[in-house]
Amino acid sequence: MTRSPVKVLYIDDEENNLLAFKASFRRQYEIYTAISAAEGLKVLENLSVEVIIADQKMPETTGVEFFKSIATTYPDPIRILLTGYTDIAALADAINHGDIYRYITKPWNDLELHNSIKNAHDAYRSKIDLRNKVKELEKTNDELNRFIYSISHELRAPLVSVIGIVNLVKMEGLYNSSGEYWELIEACSNKLDYYIQKTLQYYKNNKNISENSAIDFKKLVDQMIDLYAYSDRDTQFNLNINQTHPFMGDSFRIEVILGNLISNAVKYQKESGHHKVVDISIEANLLSAEISITDNGLGILNEHLEKIFTQFFKAKNNKGSGLGLFIVKEALNKIDGTIAVSSSLNHGTTFKITIPNAK
Amino acid sequence: MPNKLERPVKVMLIDDNIIDLKINSKIIFISKLFDEIIQCRSGEDALSYFNIHSNQPDKLPNLILLDIQMPEMDGFEFLENYKRFPPELKENCVVAMLSSTLDFGDIRKAEANPYVIKLLKKPLYPEHLEEFFKANF
Repeated sequence: MTRSPVKVLYIDDEENNLLAFKASFRRQYEIYTAISAAEGLKVLENLSVEVIIADQKMPETTGVEFFKSIATTYPDPIRILLTGYTDIAALADAINHGDIYRYITKPWNDLELHNSIKNAHDAYRSKIDLRNKVKELEKTNDELNRFIYSISHELRAPLVSVIGIVNLVKMEGLYNSSGEYWELIEACSNKLDYYIQKTLQYYKNNKNISENSAIDFKKLVDQMIDLYAYSDRDTQFNLNINQTHPFMGDSFRIEVILGNLISNAVKYQKESGHHKVVDISIEANLLSAEISITDNGLGILNEHLEKIFTQFFKAKNNKGSGLGLFIVKEALNKIDGTIAVSSSLNHGTTFKITIPNAK
Repeated sequence: MPNKLERPVKVMLIDDNIIDLKINSKIIFISKLFDEIIQCRSGEDALSYFNIHSNQPDKLPNLILLDIQMPEMDGFEFLENYKRFPPELKENCVVAMLSSTLDFGDIRKAEANPYVIKLLKKPLYPEHLEEFFKANF
């Protein structure tokens, strides 16, 4: 691969040094020289150089002062400072304020300076490459997010129409008219809707925006129970919610966390005939909210406990999507919360969560 | 908000999706809550209905069920235009959004709009419609 030669700007008030520099390096680099900081600035205004070498001791503006002055306007070029004597104060200043890559004493050694320029150029390239990569990734990420979002919407609208038609079939008393076919269509549609909603939750959680608002845990839990237990009226909920202080938190993520856990507690139950109980206790104070959700359902195999928070993990005969707990974990990560689980097979599962109060 | 309800009670559905228009009309019809259903395929259609019938109060709806995502004029743009109607056209009519959206932006925008009294979700369940009807009419 051929690359255009590295552009180097050399600023020195001594004409002889400029000439010597040109003579030594003109074959390797594209060289621009300037007799003062002001002249150097003119060069920078007209073209982008990759490496700047400046002499420290110049009248009017010193090398370090020059580097300081271009710190925000030209942050990219790599800076090398040249100086005739080892001036500790200048050196400290240069390192602390001038963003200097190398410090070289005069008279310079051609090989040393050459190596420094080469290294400086490598540093420049990796800086620019990294920035481009980050930009590229941000763009791809953004597009992906938008894609998931619009797909979820476009997919959901017609699906919701299908569920609407099934409702009509029920209203017109035709639900049992074709064996169990309508029931199957309804089950499949609900399942698909569930997946789409989980995908949307995941997408929304991935966005970094976090908005804190006041959380009333009693109200929130009631809403979540309403929303997720409507299909299962015979579950008994024992609530013990004690909120002593106002609690600020990311309401969307806390809703996602509680919603998924409550829906799981209702869903992973033993076959009918069993008295289903879900205990929810919340202690919310100035520092945090400690939430515990316990069911008396199927329980989780010991060897599965570590895997339940990974994406798409499903136990055999499990009716879930393998996304719920994964999303819970991701949402907790975003708000600095933690989760612990304990379970006893056939007796039930307890999830304990801690969410810091963002007040 | 309408304080007295005179029969016939009319509902206007605004939705670009014919299938949803059909489904929701049918659900409203079976619910027997409304006496007349006015179907509009777009916000523009609905606006011109209001313009044509501006002098016939007996033709104007008591409730508008408005979809959010529609091509060209979406639900919120329709509301911007609706806002400019003379008050006598709107005094016996309330607006509810009817959408399958799960988007927070849309939900917040709908809840913040002073003309929208409720965001109803698709699929429209007859029980929800009845609950809404009892609360507002």
